[in-house]
Amino acid sequence: MADFDQILVGEEWEDTDLSLLETFDHVLNRGLVIAGEITISVANIDLIFLGLNVLVSSVESAHETLRKREATE
Amino acid sequence: MKLYVYCLAEGVDRLHKTPHGVSGAPVRIAHFQDLSAVVSVCKDFRVTRKNVLAHHEVVQSITERTTPLPARFGTLVTVEQLSHYVSTHHQAIKAKLSHVHGRVEMNVRMIETIDGAKTPQENETVPGPGTAFLLEKQREILCRQAGTAQKEQLTAWLREKLGELIKEEKISLSPSQTVILARADHLIERDNVQEYRTKMTKAVDERPDIRFMVSGPWPPYSFANIELEFSRQFGVS
Repeated sequence: MADFDQILVGEEWEDTDLSLLETFDHVLNRGLVIAGEITISVANIDLIFLGLNVLVSSVESAHETLRKREATE
Repeated sequence: MKLYVYCLAEGVDRLHKTPHGVSGAPVRIAHFQDLSAVVSVCKDFRVTRKNVLAHHEVVQSITERTTPLPARFGTLVTVEQLSHYVSTHHQAIKAKLSHVHGRVEMNVRMIETIDGAKTPQENETVPGPGTAFLLEKQREILCRQAGTAQKEQLTAWLREKLGELIKEEKISLSPSQTVILARADHLIERDNVQEYRTKMTKAVDERPDIRFMVSGPWPPYSFANIELEFSRQFGVS
């Protein structure tokens, strides 16, 4: 299997922190939806691929929402 | 008891060098007929960066042996819910696994400046609320029209560059006033990853007007969901 962490940016294949952001984008925003209501969705939260800070903020927001939901269950 | 689900797969009977899962929990296989669910028993699940990466690493380790259907991060279900899901979606899951078998996902992100894009000027008169509303509606309509046309051009261009490598594609666009941000998700054969990279490297050279970011191979996150297919098959909206 080819290296997962390389990204073509411009003309060069690089090992880069952008691959971390891409990982987050895939794992958080895509994939098989099994349950009708899953932990991360909180789906009204737009996990916008703009930068790590924004993404971390969105994940933290999701965490907070989950905490509140657990408190009411 | 809740299970955290990483992915569904076929022909996975045992785990081999699978990393620890979310919250450090061990990863296990739950068998449902001829399908396998890769799961962890989860008592304390939190949305953290570490757990996001743990999810991906588990899915990636399975993808090294076979192509699974990655579950979305945060999928917590009971055994009964998972069993019910697999049994009611069995045909669709098998069909999807067959479709992604031996394949991986590649992604291309493109940023293109819109020709003649208007940038705000410092001395521009601020429109009144009514005018601003109408201008915004006009902008939305124009963006939508430009986006549709751009999507068709982009799809055609990528197909021309990558040809038969693409087994399935998804294109999405996010136009703004000044740029169009496009994303193409491609499902390709595992053996064609290097050829895909070579062809994309050449394509990047041909379009200096566009900024590219190509990544992969990934497990097929973008091609895993089957809910819509299930709805189509059984007429459920």
